[in-house]
Amino acid sequence: MDHFPTNWGRPRNDLNDAYNTYPLHQRPYNGPKDTFADGVQRTQQPIVTGTSVLAIKYKDGVMMAADTLASYGSLARFKDIQRLHPVGSHTVLGAGGDMSDFQYIQTSLDTLLIEEEITQNDGHSLGPSEIHEYLKFLMYGRRSKFDPLWNSIIVGGVKDGRSFLGYVDLLGVTYEAKTLATGYGAYIAQPLLRDAVEEREGQENSITEEEARKILETSMRVLFYRDARSLNKYQVATITAAGISISESQHLSTEWSFAEGIRGYGAQTQ
Amino acid sequence: MDGKTAPQMRHFNPYSDNGGTILAIAGQDFAVIAGDTRQTVGYEIQTRYAPKVFRLNDKAVLAVNGFAADGNMFVKKVKQKLEMYRHAHAKDMPLRAIARLIQTMLYAQRFFPYYVYNILGGIEEDGSGAVYSFDPVGSYERESCRAAGAAQSLVQPFLDNQIYFKNQQPIPGGPPHPVHLPLSRVIALVTDSFTSATERHIEVGDELEMFIVLSRSHPQQSLDPRLNATEVSTTASGEKVFVIRRPLKRD
Amino acid sequence: MFLTRSEYDRGVNTFSPEGRLFQVEYAIEAIKLGSTAVGVKTYEGVVLGVEKRVQSPLLESSSIEKIMEIDRHLGCAMSGLTADARTIVDHARTTSQNHEFTYNENIKVESVTQAVCDLALRFGESVHDEDAMMSRPFGVALLIAGIDENGPQLFHTDPSGTFMRYEAKAIGSGSEAAQAELQDRWKKDMSLNDAQVLAVRILKQVMEEKLDQHNVQLAQVTKAGGFEILNEAALQEVIQRM
Repeated sequence: MDHFPTNWGRPRNDLNDAYNTYPLHQRPYNGPKDTFADGVQRTQQPIVTGTSVLAIKYKDGVMMAADTLASYGSLARFKDIQRLHPVGSHTVLGAGGDMSDFQYIQTSLDTLLIEEEITQNDGHSLGPSEIHEYLKFLMYGRRSKFDPLWNSIIVGGVKDGRSFLGYVDLLGVTYEAKTLATGYGAYIAQPLLRDAVEEREGQENSITEEEARKILETSMRVLFYRDARSLNKYQVATITAAGISISESQHLSTEWSFAEGIRGYGAQTQ
Repeated sequence: MDGKTAPQMRHFNPYSDNGGTILAIAGQDFAVIAGDTRQTVGYEIQTRYAPKVFRLNDKAVLAVNGFAADGNMFVKKVKQKLEMYRHAHAKDMPLRAIARLIQTMLYAQRFFPYYVYNILGGIEEDGSGAVYSFDPVGSYERESCRAAGAAQSLVQPFLDNQIYFKNQQPIPGGPPHPVHLPLSRVIALVTDSFTSATERHIEVGDELEMFIVLSRSHPQQSLDPRLNATEVSTTASGEKVFVIRRPLKRD
Repeated sequence: MFLTRSEYDRGVNTFSPEGRLFQVEYAIEAIKLGSTAVGVKTYEGVVLGVEKRVQSPLLESSSIEKIMEIDRHLGCAMSGLTADARTIVDHARTTSQNHEFTYNENIKVESVTQAVCDLALRFGESVHDEDAMMSRPFGVALLIAGIDENGPQLFHTDPSGTFMRYEAKAIGSGSEAAQAELQDRWKKDMSLNDAQVLAVRILKQVMEEKLDQHNVQLAQVTKAGGFEILNEAALQEVIQRM
């Protein structure tokens, strides 16, 4: 998966707006026109986008982090958007990609849970793996109608003493792992997360809450340094047997003084 | 080149390639079906454990490779149909019936195909080991061995040489090439195929998952304990199914 | 019969207070008016025999078709409203061919019987979104004979959609006497030839006309030959053996 949501679902091609500067609904295009293409309008590219989501399994459950930025192309458009969303009392979703599609998913899942509660009311509740399975069908169904929901989503949670961490994207591709990252984080943060987990191979789930928080903070900081579509404000969700908590947005401390001494970038050669 | 004037893909592409490799070999009275568990897209390893090989019943194992979302959905639908068949006809679907079913299911999607290469392995009703391989729109044939996926071009020539004895001259006056190889030899070939593919292909690695189906006519009804296999068959009287898992390099 | 008629025999899907579906029961009655058909299972295969009622000397008896092929390994004999059987046999043939197309194997005798019986209760008012259904129950019973991996089998179906497996079964107007006779004469180890003779002998006993090769028909399903209707010469040979 590319780190620019605009390029998701498209063949790999560096020639098209390589730096993702165009947030426009219709990007500049002078090629041959398909007369019938405008007959039906579907999501052909994301507009307001969120960047990476990170998640890690730890001793007590799952921890997830995402910054609060929603970009409009290269413009940092909305700086206080929550991209972590609780579903029921065992599950949290974190999403990158198109924020309006994500908000649609939030609404439809909330409706689903309310309907389940009202019509069934049998004491059973949907856990993270059920939500993940449902989302897989939703996303795969929409991609099969050529009308995708332009997101990559991490589903994390704890139910019946088992923690779950899964991924699903606009193509309906799914997988599970001990650590997950979407978007730019898949390149920059995932190796850091895996390092942290794999050095404890054999004694899994020994990562404490503090350690998990530390690993995520470090990764979020690296992402803020390197991802031009990120923000130094982020939220952390923890899902444990005790329930869900999503933190207030917190500030990332950063160190830029070293930049003074750097020479050799761009026009500045001395 | 200037991105603004270059032709660009306007339409959504509903497919991706999730890498990995699968392989199946049929013996006289057994079949081995294997796949690695790495799932990739481009240069990214999405997960180190996403199974591609699935036990359908006690005589059939299906390996799927290509676009993972289609693969998982396809396996789910095959399993559903197998369950419905069991209710309607009061028996497990025989291997050749599963093969034909897979063809009809794939061809039904001829104009929006499942981007999936299937290899079906198991035991026929006559007790012989069998492998069926499919293309994404349902063309299929029964073979002795087949590799598919990212490292098909690395593994298949090796199998042609080691299973079909292509480009090998029998020793003059010596015994002819065997028609069927013993199970131990086949397991060794499968393991070596995957370690080699892991060395040379970036999309292959992490773990090898190997299913072995033994016919009732196979002289041994259990595997060498040194293989550390887990039995996953459901009845004591039918065919035996085992899984062997081996680590592959993770780099 | 007619004395017990009540208001509950109009709607085809209306239960009477005693819990009976009169229209279905009447349909089963219709079979008792039909010509007699018998089926006999042996270890070698299944024999089907029917009586043809040749009502007029001008009638071409070869045009009376009461035994039909469903597939190469399946056949059936019928009694009752034989026109209804055409719908059923058509469905059975389609089901059998579909099975062969999808699964590359012969359909089981029980499965094709089940498919036929699924059709039997599709009468009454159609619910929205469903295909148009039939207005009344079928007026025909079938003896379905076939061979599959479970060996030779004989099934009986009736208008209620119930099916049962038999070693030997008779249906139609002479069925009571014929069934009693089958119960006495049927042996587990009888050969196919014995079964042919038994079928013809029983038909002869229950028929009003004198039996000859024109007013009975015999068919069999065997492992080697599949379903085959006996030609006149073969039939005559069986009659002579009797």
